[in-house]
Amino acid sequence: MGILPEKEPEVTGPDSDQPVMVFRDVAKVYPLPAGDVRALDGVSFEVRRGEFISVMGPSGSGKSTLLNMMGCLDTPTEGDIFISGTRTGDMTDAELTSLRRDRIGFIFQYFNLFPLLNIIENVTFPMMLKSGRGVDPERGKEVLRAVQLDDSLFTHTPTELSGGQQQRVAVARALINNPDILLCDEPTGNLDTRTGAGIMDLMTDLNRRGTTIIMVTHDPHIAEYSRRTIQIIDGRIVS
Amino acid sequence: MIFWEIAKRNIRIHLLRSSLAMLGIVIGVVAIASMGILGNGMVLSVSESLRTVGDSVIVTPHAGGGGGHFGGGGGSSSAIVLSEQDFQQIKRVSAPNSAIPVLQTTDRMKLGVGKDDIVALIYGLDQDDVPGLLTLESGDYARSTSGCLVGSTFAKDHNVKVGSRISIGTDGSRGSLRVTGIIEERGMSFDVSTDSAVVATQDWFKNTYNRDDYDSIVIKVKNLDDIENVKTAIEKQMNRREDTVDVMDTRKVMESIFEAFGQITTFVSAIGGISMLVAGVSILNIMMMSVTERVKEIGIMRSIGAQKREVMAMFLYEAMILGVVGSIIGGILSLLGGYAISSLMLQTTKYLFIPSSLIHIVYGMTFGIIICIICGIYPAWRAANLNPIDALRHE
Repeated sequence: MGILPEKEPEVTGPDSDQPVMVFRDVAKVYPLPAGDVRALDGVSFEVRRGEFISVMGPSGSGKSTLLNMMGCLDTPTEGDIFISGTRTGDMTDAELTSLRRDRIGFIFQYFNLFPLLNIIENVTFPMMLKSGRGVDPERGKEVLRAVQLDDSLFTHTPTELSGGQQQRVAVARALINNPDILLCDEPTGNLDTRTGAGIMDLMTDLNRRGTTIIMVTHDPHIAEYSRRTIQIIDGRIVS
Repeated sequence: MIFWEIAKRNIRIHLLRSSLAMLGIVIGVVAIASMGILGNGMVLSVSESLRTVGDSVIVTPHAGGGGGHFGGGGGSSSAIVLSEQDFQQIKRVSAPNSAIPVLQTTDRMKLGVGKDDIVALIYGLDQDDVPGLLTLESGDYARSTSGCLVGSTFAKDHNVKVGSRISIGTDGSRGSLRVTGIIEERGMSFDVSTDSAVVATQDWFKNTYNRDDYDSIVIKVKNLDDIENVKTAIEKQMNRREDTVDVMDTRKVMESIFEAFGQITTFVSAIGGISMLVAGVSILNIMMMSVTERVKEIGIMRSIGAQKREVMAMFLYEAMILGVVGSIIGGILSLLGGYAISSLMLQTTKYLFIPSSLIHIVYGMTFGIIICIICGIYPAWRAANLNPIDALRHE
């Protein structure tokens, strides 16, 4: 395993015991012609620094809505969400976007790399958004080595890599800005068992080094890698 | 900057599509610039042929009736004339600019034994004024009252040479004149149109047609800025009580002509502009396609922290690249187009490489770039305002 970026203690503010994420009576209602759909209904929980949480539930239980709320891609109809002590309800779109860029790392099921950019450019993309400057290849290589990607692949395009390699690049991209939380949406859902296990070992290692991870999955074997599981059914947390 | 890089690469991977959209811009720029170059060439060409008369003020008897003097000139083409007194007054107020009295009539004449009579315009000008007004292509100015000059078209049409004799009047009743010189072609002019005329001396004219008055007076203004003042001074002096003279400022006439040419140029350039608008629609179309194809990519960008303005900039860069590259190619081709169209229509390319022509290429290019950016705004705005959740779900 390569050198992982050191977490900066001040990212959560002066109170290091402060939860990195708080949901307080959060509800999300989608108004539809056939009647309102309550995707989330009074959801409350806290995520402490360094936790590894999996969110499980059947299809339509509200997992994706919850993930969107955690990733500041959606806003609640009721209740409050705090990310690193900041209430997201009153934030503008630009502020929420900056929060996503600086505090949250996203890992998707289908990797979602940019086909027009090479691996180094893909990984450093969020860093470029933050700094407004060009590619910093050294920082990109450092993080790519930390996720165990071979140096010879750095200048390739995503389509030239295997699924497992692409997901490692996606993990590196999510880590590049030292986020407070890593949000993963079925990170092994598009990988074979062995490659998936490799990615989960990487996640576990990241968590052991201090990265807070929240992972949405429907696979109980993958959920076993986490240290806490939130079960959600019909928009309510049941355990 | 990464968004600039993405815009460039997206154009490169869709090279054919981008090239076709660019082609529209190229055509638009060429159409606008070539028409502008042609129009400017026409203005300059006419301006050059009128240059010699742009410094004149022409005074004629008032044509509205009531003014002027009814003269008794035998062959005068007009019954309304300017008297010697009028001339002296005009000469005084126009000083120090030279005032040239002009007599004119049409008469029959014979150009050699056995040849048919023709009818042509005859001017009577003071021998001293002629060198300042007319330039000769061959021969010399008339030194005696029996000498005359002829216009270049007249000489060519009737095979008249220096030394030829012209019998004036029916069966030479008004005597004959010997051609001493051929006048250089003057083209369209407002003072004296000599190309198809005979220019005799004032003394011969007055004696032959029994005239002691004038048909018009040409004032050659030395300083062009004084034209307006000279015109005003003459009008003030001569039209004090009633309108006795009409005063024409040739520069004003030329300005009207140039204005008309300018309008024609604008009109044909506007037709070129329509092709640019069509090209703009094509840019809008491919930009919309680009947004539709990249909805998921936009969703990923927005979810990992790209601001709306950054997504918008990425698409505007793409439209701008298409516009700038298309306009540069169009600008280069406009030079060739301008060269071809000037050669064909003006028979000269000397008006091409001058700022007033080349500026039309700049206009065409600027319009091309602006159209591309304007047509990129809506697709870019649409991309920037996609809901990140919906965009991420897009397949």
